[in-house]
Amino acid sequence: MLRIAIVGCGKVADQHVQAIHRIPGCKIVALCDRELLLAKQLGERFGIAACFCELSKMLEVARPDIVHITTPPQSHCSLAKQCLESGINVYLEKPFTITAQEAESVVELAERRGLKLTVGHNYQFTLEMLEMRRLLKEGFLGGRPSHLESYWSYDLADLRYASAFLSNRAHWVRQLPGQLFHNLISHGIAKLAEFLDEVVEIIATAYQSDHLRSLGLEDVLDELRVLIRDKQGTTAFFCFSTQVKGLNLLRAYGPSGSISANILTGSLIRSPSRSYKSYLTYFIPPLRNASQHFGNARRNIANFLRRRLYQDFGMKELTERFYNSVRLGDKPPISYSEIISTARIMDEIFAQIYPSRTTDDRRRKTGTDHRLEMVREVSAPLLTSDF
Amino acid sequence: MPAREVIPKSIALAGDRILVTGSNGFIGSKLIEILLEYGFANLRCFVRPSSHLGRLQKVLGNFDAGRNVELVVGDLLSREDCRKAAAGVSIVYHLAAGMEKSFAGAFMNSALATRNLMDALLECDGLKRFVNVSSFAVYSNLDLKHGDLVDETCPLEDAPQERFDAYGFGKLKQEELVREYGSKHQLPYVIVRPGYVFGPGKTELNGRVGVGTFRFLIQVNGSHFLPLTFVDNCAEAIVLAGFKADIDGEIFNVVDDELLTGRQFLKVYKKKVKPFRSIRMPYFAGYGLCCIWEKYSKWSKGQLPPAFNRRRCAAEWKRTRYSNQKLKDRLGWKPRVPMEKALEKFLAQFESNGNSEALKR
Repeated sequence: MLRIAIVGCGKVADQHVQAIHRIPGCKIVALCDRELLLAKQLGERFGIAACFCELSKMLEVARPDIVHITTPPQSHCSLAKQCLESGINVYLEKPFTITAQEAESVVELAERRGLKLTVGHNYQFTLEMLEMRRLLKEGFLGGRPSHLESYWSYDLADLRYASAFLSNRAHWVRQLPGQLFHNLISHGIAKLAEFLDEVVEIIATAYQSDHLRSLGLEDVLDELRVLIRDKQGTTAFFCFSTQVKGLNLLRAYGPSGSISANILTGSLIRSPSRSYKSYLTYFIPPLRNASQHFGNARRNIANFLRRRLYQDFGMKELTERFYNSVRLGDKPPISYSEIISTARIMDEIFAQIYPSRTTDDRRRKTGTDHRLEMVREVSAPLLTSDF
Repeated sequence: MPAREVIPKSIALAGDRILVTGSNGFIGSKLIEILLEYGFANLRCFVRPSSHLGRLQKVLGNFDAGRNVELVVGDLLSREDCRKAAAGVSIVYHLAAGMEKSFAGAFMNSALATRNLMDALLECDGLKRFVNVSSFAVYSNLDLKHGDLVDETCPLEDAPQERFDAYGFGKLKQEELVREYGSKHQLPYVIVRPGYVFGPGKTELNGRVGVGTFRFLIQVNGSHFLPLTFVDNCAEAIVLAGFKADIDGEIFNVVDDELLTGRQFLKVYKKKVKPFRSIRMPYFAGYGLCCIWEKYSKWSKGQLPPAFNRRRCAAEWKRTRYSNQKLKDRLGWKPRVPMEKALEKFLAQFESNGNSEALKR
């Protein structure tokens, strides 16, 4: 029986508890939050008695095998290291850390201690993403992806969610180098990082939507577009939007066709590169697409009847795979190179769109102007693969 | 006219500083209006940084004394902001609440925020009364029979997770903390539990009236009484709870006289606002469906969240009775606006803006 603990008992902790409860062979033995009452309210609702407000105390008393860290990202690096130093495997919520440098140091420590790590990129483990990964592995694209597209949207209209950080400059989201993007884009970036080699070029642009402008939040950007190229020549486009509703999509193009996974509708569409004679090109592909959409609906209904279409399927799947990797000593479900690559891409995006914030932040952390270093590397893309 | 002369046995002096949290809210702004009417001008309005202050500013603009009202912008989750709010106050009306859908969010913004405020108040001297504004959402009607009376002695919800009501959970925990501070730290508190507060400025229909789905409204039961309280009447009750002597530690439910049933309320609403499709479901059928939904939710391990369940069904749609006797006996409260007039005022807002948001819930 794996002994699990959770550090950080805010909103996302509920999802973790529910996902863990679906996994056989594990038990939540302790909860920890700097605010003890927050730990207790979670414990009371889910029948977990051991609640702590100090991590060291919890690690000492509860002796968990795995700790889920669901605190604001500013504390991820130090808390993860504290757990790893104590010989405990770590599941870190996204974003993994604040900077790539921190991510590298956490991964290095885990490897040195022979422990396992993962990051909460749960949307990579939804049913359609698992199927897409299988098809790509089987070579559906006919080779490496030549182009990727990742779209990610977030609805800021419901202020019951967004007002907490939009209204409060001191909120932890507003303190992140990449502000709103920093907390939200890692899901979409990680999907690209999984299929990209070493990235050699990034061009990012960001702006503020009319909606946010109307709320008077001058310093927060909420629309982001990014172009990425890796050293193999694969290109990628990333779009984050608060104005385009219901967009959560990954599309991969290759020599033999393209494949698209829509996470919001739980659907997967394959489009083989094939030409048809004459007017058949207007008839057959749409019919093929219609048939695939019908198949997606049928599959979703079947999954619903089999109780597999619940909201946090991806989180449960990722968590279970991570636990199995701890139990069996297998590779973790998300490779460490992907975790670091995601962090590096995000670093570079924020350096480009928030130059003053990221430069100041890194200066404070490292004592150097790290941004200029990154820009230099990126501006000489074909000469270096060290980015 | 000074409140001492208007409210018999008042603990408040004319110069007492009064703090109102949530002062820009639906009830809060009306509360400020009534305090100003009573002649209390030494007011401190605590508002969130995100608050659009239009409602409050409109009220303040109607009184000469409104110009001297102090506005404090802050977040009750910040202890520093709580200290700023608490400094030198004698009476606190705590209306700010967590409206978030998540349990943790509701807990933070209701319970933790209240704890921070109470801690800050304990650091200061001179607090005479802490009025904690709670809600009917804390009651459990599950074991009550049809026709039973819901009063201040009724059992509280003991399984808020099963009820799937984050707001109610936050309020329950908030009340627990207030009672704890009352017994441990002698915090002089009063708890006020308003029912379904309605009035101009609130356009959406409460879930107790019906549930909007697929472009029509489902009304369960319909013959159940709604625990209605018009916003002026509710604010008056809260004001009195802050001033009356010898009521520390007491709880007061706030409902008006001449309550309407769900069916009566919906009929008037549809007639005056806008006709829309609705169907009525007998209570036993609604209860049965809630039971099935709850069991399916459990069986499927939350594939469908338990949004409909027996606890909610009983709390919102069971035909229970409500009493305001304690409010009248102990606070000397009487409705400022009778029900007929209150309904008129509520419905008049739709004539001016001409649209219905009935199916929001």
